[in-house]
Amino acid sequence: MNKKKQTMVDNEKMIRAGVVVITGAGSGLGRALAINLADRGLKVVGFGRNKSALQETASLINKGRFYPMVVDVADSSVVDMAFVEIEKSYGTVTLLINNAAIFPRLDFLDETPDSFQKTMNVNLGGVITCTHAALKSMQQTGLGRILNVASFADIAPMPASSAYSVSKGAARILTKALVADLADRFPDIVITDWLPGMLATGMGIPDGLDPATAAKWGAALALWHDPSLNGVTFEQNCELLSPRPLKRRVKDLILLRKSPVARKIIA
Amino acid sequence: MIDEIVKKSWDVIVIGTGIGGGTVGRRLAEQGLSVLFVEAGPNGPRGEQTALDSDVYDPVARRVRGFWPTRLKAEINGRTSEFFGPLGAGVGGSSVFYAATLERPERHDLDDSPERPHPTGGWPVGYDNFQPYYDAAEKLYHVCGNEDPLSVERPSSLLKPPAQTAGDNAMMDGFRHRNLHPYQAHMAVRYLPNCKNCFGFKCPRACKMDGRSAGVEPALATGNATLLDKCTVTALRGTDKSITHIEVERGGKKFELRAKRYVLAAGALGSPRLLLASKSEYWPQGCGNSNGLVGRNLMFHVNEMIALWPERGQKFAGASKAIAMRDFYYRDGRRYGVVQAMGLEASYGEIVHYLNMMFDRSILRSLKVLRHLTRIPAFIAAKLFGSAKIFVGIMEDLPYTHNRVILDQADPARVSVQYTFAAELIERHHSFRRMVKKAFRGQRFAFLGFQPELNFGHPSGTLRFGGDPNSSVLNASCRVHDIDNLYVVDASFMPTSMGINPSLTIAANALRVGDHLIGELSTGADLK
Repeated sequence: MNKKKQTMVDNEKMIRAGVVVITGAGSGLGRALAINLADRGLKVVGFGRNKSALQETASLINKGRFYPMVVDVADSSVVDMAFVEIEKSYGTVTLLINNAAIFPRLDFLDETPDSFQKTMNVNLGGVITCTHAALKSMQQTGLGRILNVASFADIAPMPASSAYSVSKGAARILTKALVADLADRFPDIVITDWLPGMLATGMGIPDGLDPATAAKWGAALALWHDPSLNGVTFEQNCELLSPRPLKRRVKDLILLRKSPVARKIIA
Repeated sequence: MIDEIVKKSWDVIVIGTGIGGGTVGRRLAEQGLSVLFVEAGPNGPRGEQTALDSDVYDPVARRVRGFWPTRLKAEINGRTSEFFGPLGAGVGGSSVFYAATLERPERHDLDDSPERPHPTGGWPVGYDNFQPYYDAAEKLYHVCGNEDPLSVERPSSLLKPPAQTAGDNAMMDGFRHRNLHPYQAHMAVRYLPNCKNCFGFKCPRACKMDGRSAGVEPALATGNATLLDKCTVTALRGTDKSITHIEVERGGKKFELRAKRYVLAAGALGSPRLLLASKSEYWPQGCGNSNGLVGRNLMFHVNEMIALWPERGQKFAGASKAIAMRDFYYRDGRRYGVVQAMGLEASYGEIVHYLNMMFDRSILRSLKVLRHLTRIPAFIAAKLFGSAKIFVGIMEDLPYTHNRVILDQADPARVSVQYTFAAELIERHHSFRRMVKKAFRGQRFAFLGFQPELNFGHPSGTLRFGGDPNSSVLNASCRVHDIDNLYVVDASFMPTSMGINPSLTIAANALRVGDHLIGELSTGADLK
């Protein structure tokens, strides 16, 4: 095994040895991810606003693998306190999955500035609060993994989805901005966007994909620790390459750059 | 916290936290003195692996990363260019990015002798007096390696180096067949499990030993030292004889700091600049500059990059990091220097970077579009070089008073230098190349540069120490001649640049000056 590969294996081991935080773990994809990662033997802390929903998630998982915490990700002081508590009681967070989101179906005329902002506070604000808190320890060890559950809602917003589309689009820009600030300094803090697709969950569609199936990919992607995944987007189980306009392709050809190949998640 | 720092009268304030400042601060704090480190850059998060990158141009982004925030202004042979030097500005200074090669100089680098006359008549403190401090610095920095087989001095305090790769062994055998004398270079690296060989980037653990991991951090651990980061010293203030306080700026606030002794360690470019910028009615030419020598005698090493292919039947596996040889160090009465592995394979990316740096200093630099074209020769070179390894010859630069750090009147906060290549240096560079060519005759090799390349990461000499106050800025204890409580411990003190990396000598000298300060402050020879 070459040195680079050995480092990757070692880093993945260290990620697995730490604590996983999954936001929105009381339902849907968050619950499925919690079950999948706990079944792989990881220590999972699940954030959610609803205590009984979190307890239901806990009831589906072997004891001692899942720790529910009632946390509203929109509230930065609550999130900060929760991360301090995790460090004290369970260990250092090495993996964060920003999954929590709300999707109120409202026409823009029926929104109020406050209701719009509330969605922003969860879908964008929650990623900011949790990422900021998780990075406190990650910047000291230099090691970590952050997976952001993303959506295409920003590309062609549907009717009655303005706040959701704006907040999810902004969250994808946040990933890019984090890469600009962190990737060269912390190559082993790997941040990736993941689009799970349309799921058969409360927020999704009835004939969507089984969240347990999507969670297999999501969990495998979350545990895949490779610096080259920084800032990359995956759709379901496949890497999404950023489109290269003709001009760029011609330039790449002239400059003898290799054309990229999409990677697949091995679940 | 700031209030307490401002109120306190410190034993020693150390300005700058690179090899010099970090090492002296550690020595003083371990002996129970109260030490305040004042560092212009940030105390960055410990997990960083940031590589020094001249393509990051935004000053805020540069500051956060611990890079020197502004461009160096250099007038070289009369032509002015501006570029980001390979300099750090954060806890550990430039050393957090360095390749951790900590080697002793040769005796003739310091001492004058009839066989090898010294260009300045010799350092005021000789090789034998430096030896115990080289020993101590090697221990402090966990230096490992093998003795230079050509050395006639008593052995260094080296730890056992890690086993060499088969590729490096093969390469060293090849050198020996050519009657050269390679050895495992002296590295300040602990080689902890999963060591990433953090050469050129910050080490996320205390594995690479630098001004931060071997200086500031152990100093802070004693409880006697305090670190004030993101704090810029704007001027030294005092009377004709003494420093009374320093003026600093932090987060937009200006205040003063006071100590019994002040140690300047802002680097051979930063320290003279600060002294020149501290003009006052007592010091009309700048602090410590009554003889006009502050900033003068600036030296850089001259780098000669050499690509070397394996000989027939050999294979070099992996990048070599720790091979050095001193066969060309001194020949026929002339001073050259060490040849060492760069820790680089001649890969495409490395070559692009190297060519881009050359481009930025060339006549074509204003035509940004052309910069992309460096990729084409780099690609061809990478194909051509294949498994070649890159070595660098570090050639000594000699002191000339016209080479110097000047105060930029338009922007006194930035570093500005004037440098002219001496005819003697260009000639010596030619004969160095001829010598190397001859030694590797029959083996495929190439020089990567065409003209002598200055190593802007190795500035020295700008506040030289000496016995005569008319021809030096510091006395033998590295105290500023004019001022009774100001010392300098960075590479400025060196009267000559030596043929070797300066780090170990800076560390050893910092320990020496530290001992002097401890003596002064503990015998109650206090000034006030």
